[in-house]
Amino acid sequence: MESKLKDILNRALSELKQVENMQELNEFKVKYLGKQGELTGILRGMREVPAEDRPKIGALVNEVREKLEAAFSEREQAFNKAELEKELQRSAIDITEPGKGHEKGALHPTTRMFNKLIDICVAMGFEVVEGPEIETDYYNFEGLNIPKNHPSRDMQDTFFITENILLRSQTSSVQVRSMEKLSPPIKIISPGRVYRNDSDGTHSPVFHQLEGLVIDENVSMADLKAMLTSMMKKVFGQSTKIRFRPSFFPFTEPSVEVDVSCPTCHGKGCKVCKGTGFLELLGAGVVNPKVLEMSGIDSKKYRGFAFGFGVDRFAMVYDGITDLRNMFKNDIRFLKQMK
Amino acid sequence: MKVTYKWIKDFVDIDLPAEELAQKLTNAGMEVEEIINLNEHLHHVVVGKITKIEKHPDADKLQVCQVDIGEKTVQIITAATNIFVGALVPVSLPGAHLANGIKIEKSKLRGLPSEGMFCSGEELGIDDNFMPGASVNGILILPNDFKIGQSIDVALGLDDVVFDVGITPNRPDCMSVIGLAREVCAVTGATFKMPEMTHIELAEKASKQLEVELLSKKCSRYMAAVIKNVKIHRSPMKIRQRLFAVGIKPINTLVDLTNYVLVEMGQPMHAFDKKHIAGGKIIVRDAKKGESISVLNHNTYKLDENDLVIADQEKATAIAGVIGGTNSCIEDDTQTVVIESAVFDLKSIRLTSKKIGVRTDSSARYSKGVYYASAEQGLNRLLHLVTEYDLGDIYGGCIDKNFGAPKARVVKSSASEINAILGTKIAAEDMLRILNSLGITTKLENGNLISQVPDYREDIENSYDLAEEVIRIYGYDVYDKGEADEPYSGWKVTEGRLGERLELERSLKTALKFAGFFEAMNYSFIPADAPEKLLISDNRRFMIKIANPLGEELSCMRTTLAHSMLASLAYNYSVGNKSVKLFESGKTFHAHALPLTELPQECNKLSMGAYDMSFAEFKACLEAALSETSLSYKLVRSKEPFLHPGISADVVDENGEVYASFGQVHPTVAKNYEVPKNTLYAEIDMDKLLALPEKRFNIKPVPKFPIVERDLAVVVKEQISNEDLTIAIKSACGKLFYDVKLFDIYRSASLGEGMKSMAYNIRLSDENKTLTDEEVTEVIAKVLKALKFRYGASLR
Repeated sequence: MESKLKDILNRALSELKQVENMQELNEFKVKYLGKQGELTGILRGMREVPAEDRPKIGALVNEVREKLEAAFSEREQAFNKAELEKELQRSAIDITEPGKGHEKGALHPTTRMFNKLIDICVAMGFEVVEGPEIETDYYNFEGLNIPKNHPSRDMQDTFFITENILLRSQTSSVQVRSMEKLSPPIKIISPGRVYRNDSDGTHSPVFHQLEGLVIDENVSMADLKAMLTSMMKKVFGQSTKIRFRPSFFPFTEPSVEVDVSCPTCHGKGCKVCKGTGFLELLGAGVVNPKVLEMSGIDSKKYRGFAFGFGVDRFAMVYDGITDLRNMFKNDIRFLKQMK
Repeated sequence: MKVTYKWIKDFVDIDLPAEELAQKLTNAGMEVEEIINLNEHLHHVVVGKITKIEKHPDADKLQVCQVDIGEKTVQIITAATNIFVGALVPVSLPGAHLANGIKIEKSKLRGLPSEGMFCSGEELGIDDNFMPGASVNGILILPNDFKIGQSIDVALGLDDVVFDVGITPNRPDCMSVIGLAREVCAVTGATFKMPEMTHIELAEKASKQLEVELLSKKCSRYMAAVIKNVKIHRSPMKIRQRLFAVGIKPINTLVDLTNYVLVEMGQPMHAFDKKHIAGGKIIVRDAKKGESISVLNHNTYKLDENDLVIADQEKATAIAGVIGGTNSCIEDDTQTVVIESAVFDLKSIRLTSKKIGVRTDSSARYSKGVYYASAEQGLNRLLHLVTEYDLGDIYGGCIDKNFGAPKARVVKSSASEINAILGTKIAAEDMLRILNSLGITTKLENGNLISQVPDYREDIENSYDLAEEVIRIYGYDVYDKGEADEPYSGWKVTEGRLGERLELERSLKTALKFAGFFEAMNYSFIPADAPEKLLISDNRRFMIKIANPLGEELSCMRTTLAHSMLASLAYNYSVGNKSVKLFESGKTFHAHALPLTELPQECNKLSMGAYDMSFAEFKACLEAALSETSLSYKLVRSKEPFLHPGISADVVDENGEVYASFGQVHPTVAKNYEVPKNTLYAEIDMDKLLALPEKRFNIKPVPKFPIVERDLAVVVKEQISNEDLTIAIKSACGKLFYDVKLFDIYRSASLGEGMKSMAYNIRLSDENKTLTDEEVTEVIAKVLKALKFRYGASLR
């Protein structure tokens, strides 16, 4: 009996090695471990075994069964694993096929620049104030120290509706409205759309500005320089430098043009900055005390400074847009590049 | 403002390279926009004398010339016909690069060497106005007194540099050579020399020849000189050279001299023929209402009392400061002239010039402001030049009528105040030096700066103005050199705020961006016929018109965003762009009454436009945006005239207030704009959305017991809407209702004409227990019964 069992075990194990697929494995299971299998057959023949040998033989049968089952299960797992492996390979897809569902759209470059600038200013403690695009002559000009028929009116070609009502040519109009309403300390920005009667390759009759105004005790040109430096670094990167050049605006005195180091070449000189290393991007200055007084703010006690960005131009510099006309043409081939 | 470097050097003794001076001026606020080298194309061109001319042995049309160019004689082969032995001509030698692009090299012409070329006036960049003969079609024959071998730029006085300087409106005094020369002194430390003003005059008095009556305050000073035996001919070379260099066409002595003084001194002048001044009297007065005058541009203008005229006892002879009348102009036989040098009110000149649409060098200059002493200085300078060039005999004593000189201005400030404005630590001594270098005579008294402002600096009134003068000359690099205050000292901390409107706009824009829409940006202008094209017959056709538009297409302020959006879609369609989805945020403008007497209403709108997209897809995108707000709404058929009446909807709240309209555009509108028929448009009223309360959520617990689903398809008439059915389903389910979704619509002939099958997925749940099959079946039976009863639905 013992030798018979050993024989079964050896035969089964060598047979198991020959098994090549799941079907043969199942046949193997039936042949040795099934109800009609050889091991069960041995157990049925226990009656013929002397009673004293039965426990020993019984234990031996179980031992053989366990060995066979372990070997079987090892083999079965190997088959399953290989099968899964095959299945995984079969189900591989082309991962470079395009994604489905709708494509994402995009914001206009001017909006993106607006968001960037506004967020920077809000984080620096500025409050956003908006105002009408159709304005009175007073808020657009006179309240900003630009009297009627004054030479400083020549700086801006204005669209008029009537003699006293016009399309604002600068968002500074909002600053006058704010100064009338608020009392210092004032720290506001006024983003918005402005209009000038001027249209060519570098001028659009409609464009966008963001102007800032700070009024407090003891503010100075030095603060303006520091604040604009900090803002421009946040827009164009830490290595950005700015420089002031004297200029003229009726509502600031002293007035400056602000040049920002060219973000394309970092000041080395390139096509974008025409080799100068700088781009003229802002106007700024200390608020003219006459403007403060006109809006009812004590110019002996308070001082202010103001700055203005051309947001479209900022966006063009930032995104490398060379043709201004693209900004208002709404060609999807242009807009899609902003995705 | 164009000036030449040599002209500036008449009044300042400096010798900086032009580029260096330009940089210094720019740094001080006098922006040099361009530096023009007048001799850029005149290098390697010299004065030569033709000593011998022979025919070319191998070419009929060519001549072989020997030319003395001073240090040597060169051979030049030419086809020119107007040359002769002994002629002085411009000779371009190898290396020259002429104004018309020709580069000169040594060459051989039909076998004989040629070492250069003779030049025409055009090749040198000059014409007859500059030098007689320069415009002829041939070689420029130079005057006999030119020096052989001399470089042509020196010979022609073109060895000079022109600075084109941008002058800001606060500095009209710098619209002159002397004004810029003063600035040059301030930035270089050199000393300013006033131009020479002396002249020789007759014993006979001008006042015997002419009377002047000043009747209008629009003129603060009127000066006049009378010159007899005036010589009107070609101006001296130097005058012509300089006018040519700054872009003014030389004409004759009289015109050129007034122009010369205008550029040099900044004082406009006008010359009258004395014999046409009736009664020998000039009257400076307001025009009479309806008075008309014919002027030198061959037009006649009607004036009124807001205009200032120069008149005699019979008629107006000039529109003051703007243009002269034809009845008093200088002619070839003019013997005696009256030279006017006046100070006219800039506002009056601006108004008149703008009203009649005439802009001259004179009106342009007066429009910026001329100061009181300028009239006298300008006139004296002109008379000096008349004497210098012997152009006539000047009657003694100029006539000077005025309302008195303005008071000298004194500005009191202090170094500490100026430093506080600038945030700097500039020494008082430096401030003194700078202000004095600018002609602002300043003393330091008990710590105060006492400044006498010169009459030509009307822009300086207070410490802020002085601060600007100090910093622009001291240099803005002060802030980079550690000489400035620490920033932000003593500031109050403020709280930043984006504001609700921008927050809403941003969230809507972001939602649309993720829904696949691209942001468009259009002008706010639309054409007058836009409402017609959009079939609009309501108030929106009353648009605000711009008085001075860029063109008809851009003449009105938009009352809807539809025109701009459809035009943008049409553009994209026309260039073949497929499946375009755009949105735009912008204002619409609505007048309370026209013409405007008060500011109009401005509304914040958001438009969406698309083609190659279904109504359902478009609707989902709009709803995605609306879901950013707390709006609870339903859809009703839209009455927007530009939308298809059957394929459009208004988004309304429970009170019927319309928040948005959307749908397919009306077929006629699609045709008008040349957009595809299936073009979709939406306009959202952002102001109404802004008035809604903030979006808040009242979160319910997640169901504890399983949700049971059943699908139910019913056949109904086409008119029955999805909304009708879902509301009925919801109410029939009662407390067990969880959700319902339409998942299929099916139409076929077998269902019958005008019928459709609507398939719903209904989900039920009970908050207290698991629903049994029987309970669910019972509810679905109830739903079917309700649909049958209310809408005649049958189970499919």
